[in-house]
Amino acid sequence: MKNRLRVLRAEKGWTQEDLGKALGVSRQAVNAIETEKHDPSLDLAFRIAAVFGQTVEQVFDNPHG
Amino acid sequence: MIGLWRNGTPAHRRYVLRTWAFMVPYVAICVAMIFGVFDEIEGRPAAWILAAALSAPVIGQLWATLGLMRDSDEFVRALTAKQFVVAACLTFAAAVFWGFGETLAGAPHIPAWLIYPLFWFFWGVSAPFIQSSRP
Repeated sequence: MKNRLRVLRAEKGWTQEDLGKALGVSRQAVNAIETEKHDPSLDLAFRIAAVFGQTVEQVFDNPHG
Repeated sequence: MIGLWRNGTPAHRRYVLRTWAFMVPYVAICVAMIFGVFDEIEGRPAAWILAAALSAPVIGQLWATLGLMRDSDEFVRALTAKQFVVAACLTFAAAVFWGFGETLAGAPHIPAWLIYPLFWFFWGVSAPFIQSSRP
């Protein structure tokens, strides 16, 4: 799923490890989402959006709309 | 294993420790068997104890693998599960093919316990190509 995670993370100056810690997931999970190898669950998508103070649709492209 | 320890999550490190804890006794018993330590009990009822002693670490290692999935985040869990399923399917396919080969075509008998190392062989071969949790 296309997303702006890498850009948002870079704006904060965070590493994938930093973001993983903030989200409670591994660095590998962050990398997989950024490279579109993993579509996050709804719960994780909401957590990601909350960490950046954005809505889910501001972080992830809606593939159905 | 070294890569998992260095770059892995806490769940990965627990998995590495558990794997060593189970595989060291397994290999030790196998080596002892190869050197004839248990020759006297082969074919006797006591050999069932030896069979159980060899099977226990294998079961433990499977538990460690399932534990890795349970304790990991959603991506690692999904990826590990996908790799597990593919390796299991390849193992089933190879075992069924060879089993029918033995029954129908006179292929040489292969002990059933070789299925477990075969499973990890297939995991090792297929895992580099399974790096996405997506279908």
